Amino acid sequence: MKKILFTLACITIAASSLLMASGQKEATVDTSKSDELVVWLWDMGFNGATMQKAAEIYKEDHPEFNLVIEDQGDWNTLQTKLTTIASSGKLDSLPDILLIQDNAFQKNYMSFPEVFTDLSNTNIDYTQFASGKTGYSVIDGKNYGVPFDNGAVIFGYRTDILAKAGYTIDDFTDITWSQWLKQARVVLEKTGKPLLSAQAGSSDIINMMLQSAGASLFNTDGSPNIVNNDVLYKVAETYMQMLDDGTCIEATDWSGYTNSFSSGAVAGTMTGCWIAATIQGATDQAGKWKITNMPSLDGIPTATNYSNNGGSSWAVTSACKNVDLAADFFAMTFGSSMELYDAVAQNGVLGTYLPSANSSVYSQPNEFFSGQPIMSIITEFAGKVPAIEGGAYYYDARDAVCTAITQIQSGAVAKEAFQDAQDTVNFMMGN
Amino acid sequence: MSVININKKTKSTQSLGVGTYTFLIVAVILSVFPLFWMVIAATNKSVDVISGTLIPGSNLATNYKNLIGSTNLWQAMWNSFKYAGIMTVLSLLVCSIAGYGFEIYHDKHKDRLFSFLLLAMMIPFAAVMIPLYQMVSEYGLLNSTAGFVLPTISTPFLIMLFRQNSRSFPHEIIDAARIDGLSEIGIFIRIYIPTQKAVFAAAVTVVFMNGWNNYLWPKIIMQSNDSISMPMLIAGLQSGYVTDYGVLMLSVLFCILPMLIIFFAMQRYFTQGITGSIK
Amino acid sequence: MYSLRSWRNNKLSHKKQKQMQIKSKLTVENKLSITGWFFILPATLLIFAMSFYPMFKALYMSFRTGIGVNMEWAGLYNFTRMLKDKIFMQSVRNNFFYLIIQVPIMLVLAITLASILNNPKLKYKGLFRILLFLPCATPLVAYSVIFRSLFAIDGYFNTILLNFGILSKAYNFLGHPTSAKIVIIIALIWRWTGYNIVFYLAGLQNIDPSIYEAVKLEGASKFQTFFSITAPLLKPMILLTSIMSINGTLQLFDESVNLTAGGPANASITMSHYIYNLSFKYVPNFGYAAALSYVILLLVAFLALIQMKVVDVRD
Repeated sequence: MKKILFTLACITIAASSLLMASGQKEATVDTSKSDELVVWLWDMGFNGATMQKAAEIYKEDHPEFNLVIEDQGDWNTLQTKLTTIASSGKLDSLPDILLIQDNAFQKNYMSFPEVFTDLSNTNIDYTQFASGKTGYSVIDGKNYGVPFDNGAVIFGYRTDILAKAGYTIDDFTDITWSQWLKQARVVLEKTGKPLLSAQAGSSDIINMMLQSAGASLFNTDGSPNIVNNDVLYKVAETYMQMLDDGTCIEATDWSGYTNSFSSGAVAGTMTGCWIAATIQGATDQAGKWKITNMPSLDGIPTATNYSNNGGSSWAVTSACKNVDLAADFFAMTFGSSMELYDAVAQNGVLGTYLPSANSSVYSQPNEFFSGQPIMSIITEFAGKVPAIEGGAYYYDARDAVCTAITQIQSGAVAKEAFQDAQDTVNFMMGN
Repeated sequence: MSVININKKTKSTQSLGVGTYTFLIVAVILSVFPLFWMVIAATNKSVDVISGTLIPGSNLATNYKNLIGSTNLWQAMWNSFKYAGIMTVLSLLVCSIAGYGFEIYHDKHKDRLFSFLLLAMMIPFAAVMIPLYQMVSEYGLLNSTAGFVLPTISTPFLIMLFRQNSRSFPHEIIDAARIDGLSEIGIFIRIYIPTQKAVFAAAVTVVFMNGWNNYLWPKIIMQSNDSISMPMLIAGLQSGYVTDYGVLMLSVLFCILPMLIIFFAMQRYFTQGITGSIK
Repeated sequence: MYSLRSWRNNKLSHKKQKQMQIKSKLTVENKLSITGWFFILPATLLIFAMSFYPMFKALYMSFRTGIGVNMEWAGLYNFTRMLKDKIFMQSVRNNFFYLIIQVPIMLVLAITLASILNNPKLKYKGLFRILLFLPCATPLVAYSVIFRSLFAIDGYFNTILLNFGILSKAYNFLGHPTSAKIVIIIALIWRWTGYNIVFYLAGLQNIDPSIYEAVKLEGASKFQTFFSITAPLLKPMILLTSIMSINGTLQLFDESVNLTAGGPANASITMSHYIYNLSFKYVPNFGYAAALSYVILLLVAFLALIQMKVVDVRD
C-alpha cells in the first residue's frame, strides 16, 4: 500500500512540476509598462499594416512608445475570445486596444459594458470623422470607439467583359436594379459570365440593398421591422430574380466567393470597398476593372445608389492602464494624421477621416482600376451613404432574414417566411 | 493433436475471398481519395487547385517557400507536438490506471462513480468554456501549456477505454501474480501494461490525435503569437483576403504527417495479443 | 510439561491469532478495494476539478437569463422558453436524424473492416490499416475545405455526375436541406470509421485465436463465427464505441459550422452549433445557452444509461 502511495505521489509531483515549469515560461505580455500598448486585431496585411504605420508615426514624437500587435486570425476568433474573457470577469486578460466590427459594437457594449472606455472627453476630434460611421460606436451620446475603415459599397466590373457585351461602365452607373437585371442578362448571354456572386446563406447583398434605401431591419424603438418592411420585399424579389437569371451565383463560403472573381468566373462584385485589396490580388486582371456605384431599388422613394457594408472601429478596453496614452495615440494618428491615411491607402485601406477627401494621394489614378482615382471616388460615395438603425441584434436579424430568403427560394410564401423571421428575432430579443 | 494439425494445414491454404478484398479496396479508395486530392493540391498553384486538377504539379517548392514566409510553420509544428505529447503521456498515465482500477477492483460504489464521471463528457464544450477559462485564468495558467493540457488530461472516454479493455483481462493471471507475491501496482506495471500493448497503442494514437487537432480551447487560451498550434495556423491561412489553396493544402499535409508517423510506430502493437503471454 | 519451546509456540500462535483477527477486519477484498480507490483517485480528482466544477457553474447559469453579464435569476424560464424555440427544435430533429442514420452504419462498417483487418491471412495489412485510419488524422479545418470543394456546384462530384450524364444540371448539394444533411452524414462516416476501427482492432487482440480454430473445426461459416463468437466477446468495446458515437453525434459541432454553416436555412444546424451562436454570434444569453447544453447532456446521459444497463453486464 505504501508503495502505491509513493508511486502515485511521485507521478503527481513529476507531472505537476512539468506543467508548472512550462506554465511559467510563457507569461502574457506585461502591460503595466506605461509606454506600451497591446492591440488585438485580425488581418495583418490590412488592419495590422495600418496599426504598424500609426505606431511608427507616433514614435517619431514619442520614441519610448511601443505597440505590440497580436493577430487573432479572424473576427470570429477575436469575438469568441472577447466574449469568453469578458463574461468570465477576468477583464485584465484583455489587451489595451481592440478592433471591433461596427455591426458588433452595440452588441458587445450591451453585453459587456465594463469592457469599454468612454473616449468622449479625450483629445480625439470626432468632428473629423463621417458621422454615419462614428455613429456605430456612440452609445447614449458617448463615444466608445475610434472609427477606422470605410465600408462604403462599390460595384466593381470587368470592363473587358462588359465591352464584349457592348456596354461601358457608364451604362452601369446611377442605374436602377431593373436596368441592371436587363443588362446583366445580356452580358450573361453574350459572354457566359455572371456579374455578381454572393455567399450562400449569409448574403450581404440583402443588407446592402436595404441600407441603400435607408431601410433597416429595426424600427427606431428597437423592435424588428421585417414582415411589414416593404423595402425588404422589393429586395428579396430583386435578389431572387438575379439568382434565377443566373446573373448572380452563390458560393458556399468566403473563399469560394473571393475565388469566383479572382479566377475570372464572375465578371463583377458588389460589397464594401475593402474588397479592392482582394480584387487587386488577381494580378493577371490588372487594367481590366473599374468601379462605380450600386444600382438603386425601383419604386422606393428613399432609394439611393449608395450603401455600406462592414467596417470596424477601435475600442480602448478597461484593461488599459494608460488611457491617456491610448487616447493621445489615436488623436495623433487616426484622428489627425493625413500621413497615416496617405501611407496605407496603397493597401486599399480607406478611413472615414473627412479631410482625406482632399488628399492628393487619394486622387491618384489607380492602374489596376484602369486609372480611376478609386480612393476619392470611394470617399465621395461614403459621404452619400444613408444612415440607418443598426442595433445590437444585427446578426440575429441578418441570419433570420437570410433563412427566410432561402426558404422563399425553395418556394415558401414571402409573407410567411418573413413572419417566421420576425418571430425568430422577437424570440431572440426575449419577447 | 494430430487432427488439429491436419486442420491447421488445410486452413492455411485458404485465403480471403475476392469479395473481401474488393470491399476492402473500395473502402480504402473512398477513404484516401479526398486526401489524395489534397496531396496533389499541395504541389500545385492555387489556380490549378481550384480548377480541380488531379495531376501533381511542380509548385511544391514555391508553396513551401510561401508557407514558411507567411506563417510560423515550424514553431506551430513544435508547439502542437509539445502540447499533444505532454497530453498523451499524462493522459495515458492517469487514465489507464483509473480504468484498470474501476474494473479490476470494481464494487457498487466504484461502478456508480464511474457512471457519474461519464456525465463529464456529455456537455457541449461551449457551455463550460467560460467557467473553465475563469478557473484557468485565476490560477495564472493563461497562455501556458499547463492551461491547455490540464482540462484535457482526464477524460471519461479514456478511462472507459481502459475499463472496457480490462474486462477482457483474465483474472487468472492476476490471481497467479498475487500468489507469486506481486503488489497490485506491480501487477499493473509488470503484467497489464506489457500484455495490453494493443490498447495502449490505440490510446496513444487517439489521444495524440485529439491533442494535435484540438482547436477551440487553445484558440481561446493561447494569447501570444508564439504559442500558435497547427490547426490555428491552417485556420489563419483560410481567413486572409486571398486564399492560396496550394499553400493551404501543403500546411494540411504537414499537419497530418506526425499523425501518420505515430500511427506507423504504433502499428505493430495492434496485433499483439494476450495469448502470447499466457503461453 | 511447559518447555521453553511450547511456551514460545503458544506465544506465536497467540500472535497468529491476533493477526488473523486483524486480517478478518481487513479482508483481502477490502484491501484490494482500497487499493482500487488509489488507482482511480488522480483521474477522478481531475475530472471533478476540470469538468464538474465548470459544469456546476454552467448549471447555475442555466437558471438565470439576461444579456451578456447582465444576468438575473429566472428559475425554469429558460427550460420553458426552449419549447417555443423553432430553431432549437429544428436542431434537435437534425441531431437525431444524424444519430439514427450515421451511427449504425459507421459502427457496422468499422467492426466489419476491423475483423477483416485482423485476419492473419490478409496481405498488406499494415498498409490497409494506415490508409483507413488516414481520414481521422485529418485536421478538421482541412477536411471541411476538402469536402466543401468536392461537393460544390463546380466541384468534383458534380463534374463526374455531369460527365456521366447522370445529371443535366449541376446539383447544389449544400444548398438543399436533405442533401446538405446527407453530405454531413457522409463526411462523418468518412471521418470516424477509422477511429472506431482502431478500438475494435485493439479489442480483437484480446480474443484467443484458438477459439476461432475450434469453431472452424465445427464447420462454422464466417458469419456464424462473427455473430456468435466475435461480437459477444467484443461487447465491452462495442459499448464503448456506441456510447462515444452517440455522445459525439448529439454534440456534433464542427461539421455543422464548417461544412454547411448550419444551412441551408438551419436545415442542418446542430444543437451545439446553435448554442455556440447563442453565446458568441448573436447577442449573448449565456443562461439560455447553458440550459440548452443541459438538455443535450440529459439526452446523451439517458441514452448512455439505457445502454449501460442493458449491455454492460459482467460475466
